[in-house]
Amino acid sequence: MSKVMNTANNLEALQREQGPLLEVKNLQVDFTTDSNRVVHAVRDASFSVYPGQWVAIVGESGSGKSTSAMAVLGLLAGTGHVSGGSIKLDGQELTELKPKDFDKLRGSKMGLVPQDPMSNLNPVWRIGTQVKEALVANGMDISHEKRSKLATALAGGEVAVKSADDELFISSAERPALMEAAKSGLQKAGVDGERFEAAMQHFEQEWDAGSQTRWRVADDLIQAGMGDDEAWAIAKQYVTGSNMEDRIAGLLSEAGLPDAATRARQFPHEFSGGMRQRALIAIGLACRPDLLIADEPTSALDVTVQKRILDHLHNLTDSLGTAVLFITHDLGLAAERAQHIVVMYKGQVVESGPSLEVLQHPQHPYTKRLVAAAPSLASQRIISAQKQGLDAESLKEHHTKDDAALERSEHIITVDHLTKEFKLPRRKEMFKAVDDVSFSLKRGTTLAIVGESGSGKSTVANMVLKLLEPSAGTVTYEGKNIAGFKGKELLDFRRHVQPVFQNPYGSLDPMYSIYRSIEEPLRIHGIGDTKSRRKRVRELLDMVNMPESVMGRYPNELSGGQRQRIAIARAMALNPDVIVCDEAVSALDVLVQDQVLRLLNDLQAEQGLSYLFITHDLAVVRQIADEVVVMQHGKLVEHATTDEVFEHPKMKYTQDLLDAIPGGKLQLGLD
Amino acid sequence: MSDDMTMTSQSAHTALPGQERYVAPIEETPLHEVDSVDEAAPAASMWADAWRTLRKNPLFIISGIMILAVVFVALFPQVLTNQDPNYCTLDNSLEPARAGHPFGFNLQGCDIYARVIYGTRTSLSVGVLATVLVVLIGSLIGALAGFFGGWIDAVLSRLTDIFLALPILLGAIVVLQMFRTSTSIWKVVLVMALFGWVSTARIARGAVMESKNLEFNTASTALGSTPTRNLFRHIIPNSLAPIIVVGTTSLGTYIVLEATLSFLGVGLPSSTVSWGGDISDAQSVLTTDPMVLFYPSAALAITVLAFIMMGDAVKDALDPKSRTA
Repeated sequence: MSKVMNTANNLEALQREQGPLLEVKNLQVDFTTDSNRVVHAVRDASFSVYPGQWVAIVGESGSGKSTSAMAVLGLLAGTGHVSGGSIKLDGQELTELKPKDFDKLRGSKMGLVPQDPMSNLNPVWRIGTQVKEALVANGMDISHEKRSKLATALAGGEVAVKSADDELFISSAERPALMEAAKSGLQKAGVDGERFEAAMQHFEQEWDAGSQTRWRVADDLIQAGMGDDEAWAIAKQYVTGSNMEDRIAGLLSEAGLPDAATRARQFPHEFSGGMRQRALIAIGLACRPDLLIADEPTSALDVTVQKRILDHLHNLTDSLGTAVLFITHDLGLAAERAQHIVVMYKGQVVESGPSLEVLQHPQHPYTKRLVAAAPSLASQRIISAQKQGLDAESLKEHHTKDDAALERSEHIITVDHLTKEFKLPRRKEMFKAVDDVSFSLKRGTTLAIVGESGSGKSTVANMVLKLLEPSAGTVTYEGKNIAGFKGKELLDFRRHVQPVFQNPYGSLDPMYSIYRSIEEPLRIHGIGDTKSRRKRVRELLDMVNMPESVMGRYPNELSGGQRQRIAIARAMALNPDVIVCDEAVSALDVLVQDQVLRLLNDLQAEQGLSYLFITHDLAVVRQIADEVVVMQHGKLVEHATTDEVFEHPKMKYTQDLLDAIPGGKLQLGLD
Repeated sequence: MSDDMTMTSQSAHTALPGQERYVAPIEETPLHEVDSVDEAAPAASMWADAWRTLRKNPLFIISGIMILAVVFVALFPQVLTNQDPNYCTLDNSLEPARAGHPFGFNLQGCDIYARVIYGTRTSLSVGVLATVLVVLIGSLIGALAGFFGGWIDAVLSRLTDIFLALPILLGAIVVLQMFRTSTSIWKVVLVMALFGWVSTARIARGAVMESKNLEFNTASTALGSTPTRNLFRHIIPNSLAPIIVVGTTSLGTYIVLEATLSFLGVGLPSSTVSWGGDISDAQSVLTTDPMVLFYPSAALAITVLAFIMMGDAVKDALDPKSRTA
């Protein structure tokens, strides 16, 4: 414990002594539009990053957070340019640099982990080649570790790093001999039993060729119980520097890729999203930059993968002494990972300070709003406007509806032993996307199906919507099996069970005006005449809090949240009983997401709707759901009420999902 | 900047310089309504947007004026000349320009100016008719292949491949040889359509397949819409843009093709006034009187240029890639 405290104090002393690594002062970034209008993307932004520190910039899309980071890297897109202020890296002014000088800084002094792992690796090159490119472009020494002054100074507190050769890497050729020598050395030193086993296991795991250095090896041997001289003798004899292949594999295994030497020979399409992101981290850190800019590095990944990757990145940058400028839209994640938070809004820094302090005592109204809306930080289900007693009239209606509902069946949708198999190309056996799933949705409540990508949750939703036919099992709506629905019966089913899809950019026809989009279901079902339909569209727009003037507009003019509200209005047009929301809020900014969730909640209270809510985000579940179904690999692993799942998860998988919610364990208070 | 710094007393330890607690003054960072709609901006459908882009494109304005002029000439040739293009006397053979006959006379003694003017109608009508037919046949076949997929797609796509393997010029020569006696311009139009629908079909198939898989079709199905309704209400309207682009651009090439066929003597009969025929006739006197060749060639080049420029401008405005964002 005291060692940790000491390191922390040492670190702070060193940071004070060295001064900020990155100092951004009154930064101004402008873009010029096609019509020669100047847009101020970043206005008067100031922040600094100290060596070895994690600093997070938090903000919604369009807040200027990524633009600020790209200005630091000299990678502003299109017409973007720095029009004022200063950016200093290690005392060097960057705003006056020519593109050629920036090339020298990128890679060696500043690294980038980009946002989208899918598009940022070249599909025609092997992963190893792409890592090699980074090393070669910067003329990196591949036999020695390049550790920052800070990391060396901190490490020097524990072990005396004497010469540059103490930073030589293990090579794959000598690794077996090193392991043998370590084994016999330990036995000679009289280490045996459990302690010996533990030490050998530790060596096996940690001593990666091309990644672990001589002094680490010596230090490990000393920790395991060997004498100083013997340990250093072994390290000096067997750790003599790596070659390019070793170094590439070492970098990849550092980033958390198992079996890195084999992986390095594979192509990007053979990697999952998480693995690609690890490869990008390896590339970003390949040349040991002092500053790593991580632009939403895990936003496209599942939460459990996100947690593993960030945990790993944190350990890695700590041991290398790399400072990280972490760009994210998730306040909880930022607070959990960074010591210092910078909140940006519409191009300006509205608040900054130590993470916990900003989170616990937000002062700017925007930060307050963010803290209040952050799903990962919310402690309970949203209280709808009705339950707060704002609208007594509709509350009464809700009750009468409830009574009527009780007389009919309690379960509006029942899914019984549902299975869906797909034929995969070039495979004989069928792939079970959904495997024997049963649950039922109670009238007027919300049931959430939670799972990671590939868990089969969306396939279940599509079968409930009768957009896919199940391979086995049934879906019953109001006591009737939907498999037999045809013609009029099917039309009637469609009228009562409506979907809201994930992608607000795809689910509205770009050629249709908003009026036509919302009117379409009324037209399909032949309801009303032109005049009454127009009236109904007006009502629906009002219901989702959109002004009437949007009727003549087109989807490409609206934001993602606005389109999603239009999609909800369209789903509501036929007065449905059930709405199936397939990741309906996943693509939205936190505040907009919060707004849409509240809208859904209010509509449920007013109209007694039942929701089947498909999501990967457990944090959202807590805000909206009454019951939760957890799915993994097509199977239902847990089914309980939301409170039970959050307080007493029965399965390990559910617990993992809960642990992965960023900032879930942070203590908050709004004041 | 430092004046605005607000230090909080809650700090457990002193922050590093430059990282003190900072809260921006609210007057300078006003809070907006969450996700509010900009009601001031004008409404823009895809077509309205495309029109707005087109209107500002000089390429469109220039080519538009040129095309209007060509269309006017084709519709009302008698306004521009009172000469009969078919009145030829050998007395006038290769006579130079004079009053009332600004381009002079050709080998047969016909007024070149009048022939260029009257030839416009032939070229334009062949081009327009061929394009209309090609777009109709091509997009119908392409849309069917793209929408139904499976064996329908397999059969139609192989058919497309077969036609693609036939060089259009060679095919046209062979087929037109069989109808040498016919004097109608329709034989040329039909032959062009017969060999020209392939590229449109391919583009239509691709566009339909792309918009078929877009989520709004699933959304419509879930609202109760039928596949046929989806095809006509959603898929076809969303596939039109690339078809229109290829149609506009290929209009010019059909005009050239007609001239080529007439030049080769398999196109329009010599009794029909056409640029291609006149260019062909001018070959024999090219070395002595190059201007006889120049005028119909220039008319052809200008018209084709206008349509290709128009195609480019339309492509810029309708490019589906720039519109998805």
